[in-house]
Amino acid sequence: MSSRKAFLKQAGLALFSIGVGGVPTFIARAANSNKLLGPYKKNKVLVFIFQRGAMDGLMAVTPFTDTYLKAARPTLFMDAAKSGTNKPLIDLDGRFGLHPSMAAFEKLFREKRLAIVHGMGSPNNTRSHFDAQDYMESGTPFNKGTASGWLNRAAGLLGHDATPFRAVSLTSAMPRSFYGDNETIAISNLQDFSLPGKNPSVTFVAKSFEDLYDQTTSSLLNKTGKESFDAIKMLNKTNTKNYQPANGAQYPGSPLGNALKQIAQLIKMDVGLEIAFAESGGWDTHFNQGTDNGVFARNVADLSNCIAAFHTDLGTLQDDVTLMTTTEFGRTVKQNGSNGTDHGRASCCFIVGNNVNGGKVHGNVQPLATENLADGRDLAVTTDFRSIFSEVADKHLQINNDNALFPEWKGEKIGVMKA
Amino acid sequence: MKKVSLAIVVFFSISIILSSFSEKEGLNFRMPWKVAGLTERQAAAHLLDRFTFGATPGEIDEVVKTGLEKWFSQQLDGKLNDDSLNNRLKEYDALGMSNQQIINTFPRQAKIVKNAIDEGLINKDSIDKSDKAAYRSMIDDYMLKKGYRREQELYRQFANQKILSAAYSNNQLQQVLTEFWYNHFNVSATKNDCSQFIPAYERDVIRPNTTGKFGDLLLATAQSPAMLFYLDNFNSTGMNEAMEVRQLKRQQQVEETTKAAMEGITEEEKAKLMEQIKNRKKNLGLNENYAREIMELHSLGVDGGYTQADVTEAAKVLTGWTVYPLEGLGPSNFARKLIDKFGEDNLIKKGFVHKGDFFFALNRHDDKEKTVLGKTFSAGGGYDEGVELINMLAHHPSTAKFISKKLAVRFVSDNPPQSLIDKMAASFTKNDGNIKQVLITMVSSPEFWQKEALREKTKSPFELVISTVRSLDANVDQPFMLYQWAKKMGQQLYYYQAPTGFPDKGQYWINTGSLLNRMKFGLAFAAQKIPGVSFNLAALNNNHEPESAMEALKVYSRVMMPERNVDATIKRLEPMVNDPALQQKVEEAAGKAVPNNDAAAMIDTGDNENSMEGKSNTKMSEEKLARQMLRKKGAADMNTPLLAGNNSMLAQVVGIIIGSPEFQRR
Repeated sequence: MSSRKAFLKQAGLALFSIGVGGVPTFIARAANSNKLLGPYKKNKVLVFIFQRGAMDGLMAVTPFTDTYLKAARPTLFMDAAKSGTNKPLIDLDGRFGLHPSMAAFEKLFREKRLAIVHGMGSPNNTRSHFDAQDYMESGTPFNKGTASGWLNRAAGLLGHDATPFRAVSLTSAMPRSFYGDNETIAISNLQDFSLPGKNPSVTFVAKSFEDLYDQTTSSLLNKTGKESFDAIKMLNKTNTKNYQPANGAQYPGSPLGNALKQIAQLIKMDVGLEIAFAESGGWDTHFNQGTDNGVFARNVADLSNCIAAFHTDLGTLQDDVTLMTTTEFGRTVKQNGSNGTDHGRASCCFIVGNNVNGGKVHGNVQPLATENLADGRDLAVTTDFRSIFSEVADKHLQINNDNALFPEWKGEKIGVMKA
Repeated sequence: MKKVSLAIVVFFSISIILSSFSEKEGLNFRMPWKVAGLTERQAAAHLLDRFTFGATPGEIDEVVKTGLEKWFSQQLDGKLNDDSLNNRLKEYDALGMSNQQIINTFPRQAKIVKNAIDEGLINKDSIDKSDKAAYRSMIDDYMLKKGYRREQELYRQFANQKILSAAYSNNQLQQVLTEFWYNHFNVSATKNDCSQFIPAYERDVIRPNTTGKFGDLLLATAQSPAMLFYLDNFNSTGMNEAMEVRQLKRQQQVEETTKAAMEGITEEEKAKLMEQIKNRKKNLGLNENYAREIMELHSLGVDGGYTQADVTEAAKVLTGWTVYPLEGLGPSNFARKLIDKFGEDNLIKKGFVHKGDFFFALNRHDDKEKTVLGKTFSAGGGYDEGVELINMLAHHPSTAKFISKKLAVRFVSDNPPQSLIDKMAASFTKNDGNIKQVLITMVSSPEFWQKEALREKTKSPFELVISTVRSLDANVDQPFMLYQWAKKMGQQLYYYQAPTGFPDKGQYWINTGSLLNRMKFGLAFAAQKIPGVSFNLAALNNNHEPESAMEALKVYSRVMMPERNVDATIKRLEPMVNDPALQQKVEEAAGKAVPNNDAAAMIDTGDNENSMEGKSNTKMSEEKLARQMLRKKGAADMNTPLLAGNNSMLAQVVGIIIGSPEFQRR
């Protein structure tokens, strides 16, 4: 008993003092098995951001020398050369240009901490948001029946005991990527880890709830209840209040900004976080997408500013954290009749960290002549999303089990991470 | 003898009346609950779990008294008296407004500012927001003068009616189905262009069609401004000959003017000019968004057997389907100009169509031949081919299956048996997509009554909120607080961004954050800490105060979860509830408690992102008001406890019931 107390103190953990009594099951479990606990040695963290709605990769990272693209997008095409009053693209390598609203990414790219993969996507050519997201998050693009999400499988493959905070999604709903048997948490606001009231009534209430959820025959309620009470016992509410980002990092006040800020908090609190999930919305730009201004520009500004702030905030912990974005598919090469773009195939993704093979646009983007396009209309998928996900998981989280992580897939890695 | 024959005559005429009555009411069905081994009361409880937002105290008795089939039939008809609900809704004047009235009364904020500038009432340069108070009062004055009201008020009235209708309507199934179909044909207030049309959408498009023919619903949504804007079809434009000629001419013109203008100007000026020309170019054309979703989400289902080519072709069929010009609505200006120029009658003679707020703009319609799902639509089909397409989708076998499955998921279980879906799909096809008949087929099937289906569904946050109100016969004076609580637990009605609507499965609703918030909701509700919500616990127990916490647990478990086996719950909590030391401590603590902080926490339902509520003045002041009310109320409560001596313990017991796993199920 005393050693456990000392142990907790040493770890800088404050048990939730006025809430649920007792010891989180993971600690009890570890105490019984005499195993070293996960959270008390430094772990690597993977942060995964899903851009829901299908980002137009050709506008985020434009192959600006491509004359076919220019012709296909009379009002949407942007150039790296200054023209008129429009802001030009940020020329990355003479061929690809970053959207001007993503200036925050330029520094990361030049420092080789940001890698871009273009022409990435799913081998399944569905253009349904829901199906494409489902396939990508389950990691099995031809199997609808897969019950688990790829990040849940990843959590199970880490190979060591975990705290309730091993896999946390900063969203109001549990994302498909997290479905499965391994313990995961979804919460949009860390402040919610508490029950209202003062002792002793809160103890009474909390204990009652814990008991009831422990006995329910609904496995969903039972499992979630257990996870919730474990988490409550561990996280001290006061620790999450008034968080001040470090190094002058300024998070945008957007949902993604709030999510990343709280992920940074959890990382610094050392509660055993290893896999974090956040999402960003509004990418389904069928109508008036805009160029250097407008809805798309606002979206990429938010995305890049949030990620850059997160990276800055991490400071000395940057080595431990890799962040990766994805989106369900890209958008049509040709603009549609409403100054927007319709559902397409490949898009691009961003990977940020000190161990990425950065400063480079990876992947294979052919000239956008009709004969090179998927179904005669869309940027073709040349890099399977599983190639990227598995390489990041392998290199950063040391999960070397592609068969379990992505059953059905046997492909090549493309070197987005340093060897 | 005479008496006997009279009796016979009377008997026959009554039975004739009865039989014709029951046929009229569609009572020619039987619910096979006995086969599944249920008692009549259990069956009634299941019906209430599935087709209402939760049973009110004593409602099971009423259903049994009415007769299960008759009760269901009445619910399908939806004609029970709703005076008491309508009384509650009287104060909301926006609920009956047309789209045009809403635009006129609740203009968008940006539009108000623009109008004020246009009319010279606000100087553009004075919109320096450094002096926010002055700016706001300028806007307020202008709004007052014009009779404009804040947009937030519209959405608040609308949200309030949702809560009140769900809680108090006697026609519960109509309310449940309104929510179901709205979610199926989801439109989102997160999209600015669409938000103003949502109140009329729910009222005029969804509500009247909940139990009619599916095809009517599909067509009505296709022609509603809310959907036309939400999925962008309003400006999807096709190519036709007239248009090609016009475009060619325009292009020539632009080229000539450009050439002339380009002579003798500097490079910089040239670039600027090019920019202007580029921005002016209205590049109208096809938009696939709606055509895809009507097949994927509204009718066939994603595996319904259509291809990308079908999507593109269907989009062409639906070109020109747009909104009839409303005053003050920018995107309909083109139609206004047309009508002004040619006269509406003349346009209609040519093949334009005006139907309510829907407008078919022939000049934007692709007049070439198209093929969708193997069916050819010959050139020049005009408006009718769109109707034909929608009719075809509504009657497609994939649609019968897809809609039947969705209904079964909503009303039976997250994973309904295939045999049931097949029966419902057959009924759908046989009855021309008659939703009422499909639902009757469902409740006439043994699968509906199987024990595995009982309590299998997890309540959505909205269902949790409303079932709590109903189970305690609570009186709601400030419905918006409950709307906010549902939002906090993960369901902000009308704001789901994607066209899929909220997923209808437990796994979506239950996670750490939402579960903790459900518990908090239970505690806040039971302690009467949610402003504007009150109830009388003693009244639910024949004005008898439970004598102990244990008794309270037993009594209210049974009142709130009738026909459920609550023994396990009670047994599990028994040792704790019976601990006298704990009770005493809780009471002592309650005596000292200052409600202010807790109250503030209850009201602050957190994140406001994406919300039209924003942080407007109105909202702030209402919150302040609510806080003040709570302080007063808290003080009063301490002097006059609801149940003498046992108030807080009782509230906690009820709170635990609301937050318990059993109460999350239906």
